[in-house]
Amino acid sequence: MNAEAPTAAELEQHSVVQAAFAAAWADSLSDDPVQRHEEGGYIYVNTITGDVIVRRVPPEGRDSLDLSVPPQLPDCFLVAIYHTHPNPIASGLDPEPSPDDRREAADSGVPWFVISELGVYAIGPDRRIGGLSGPPGYPG
Amino acid sequence: MSTAVAIPTISVQQAITIAETDALPMYGAEWLNKLMLEVTLHDDGWHIEYRQWRPRHTGGGPHYVIDATTGVIVSKKYYQ
Repeated sequence: MNAEAPTAAELEQHSVVQAAFAAAWADSLSDDPVQRHEEGGYIYVNTITGDVIVRRVPPEGRDSLDLSVPPQLPDCFLVAIYHTHPNPIASGLDPEPSPDDRREAADSGVPWFVISELGVYAIGPDRRIGGLSGPPGYPG
Repeated sequence: MSTAVAIPTISVQQAITIAETDALPMYGAEWLNKLMLEVTLHDDGWHIEYRQWRPRHTGGGPHYVIDATTGVIVSKKYYQ
């Protein structure tokens, strides 16, 4: 029987994840209309130690991040991904997850977290589909 | 009994131009050109949606509903 992955709610309460969200939000420079940009990365669980591990991806620009190739870490499975929506409501942009975010999250097989000025949204499956087994990156 | 379907007086190209004119100041051409444009005609008008097409990439674009007879933007949402 496969071990179940942590739920999005459990991950959101984890100190490592909370620190990662705070760092990503701070680095997004949401208060700077010129330099604000998306930040984010991957969240893993180590099946031996139970540790939660975060890996950031390099920023690309104001509105996009490439989260398509999660690095493989020893004994680890990808359990979620996260990214920021740094553009504030005052700029005219919607802080909530976009329809594209929701579609991709549902299709990816892991929860997605979107961090915005309104808080953290969890979208997609409640937890990694298929448990901690199969491909270590996206499950399907 | 048949149902009459109103023929749009605003062409698809005109609707795209209306959306693009609105979107450019907010997003810029460089970003809009990276997105996929999906256009469909519904009862409430043209639905023009700039969408992310690259799998597992973040980043969205604007979605519009444009009246197919007047060209007025009925609704819009600037996604990020």
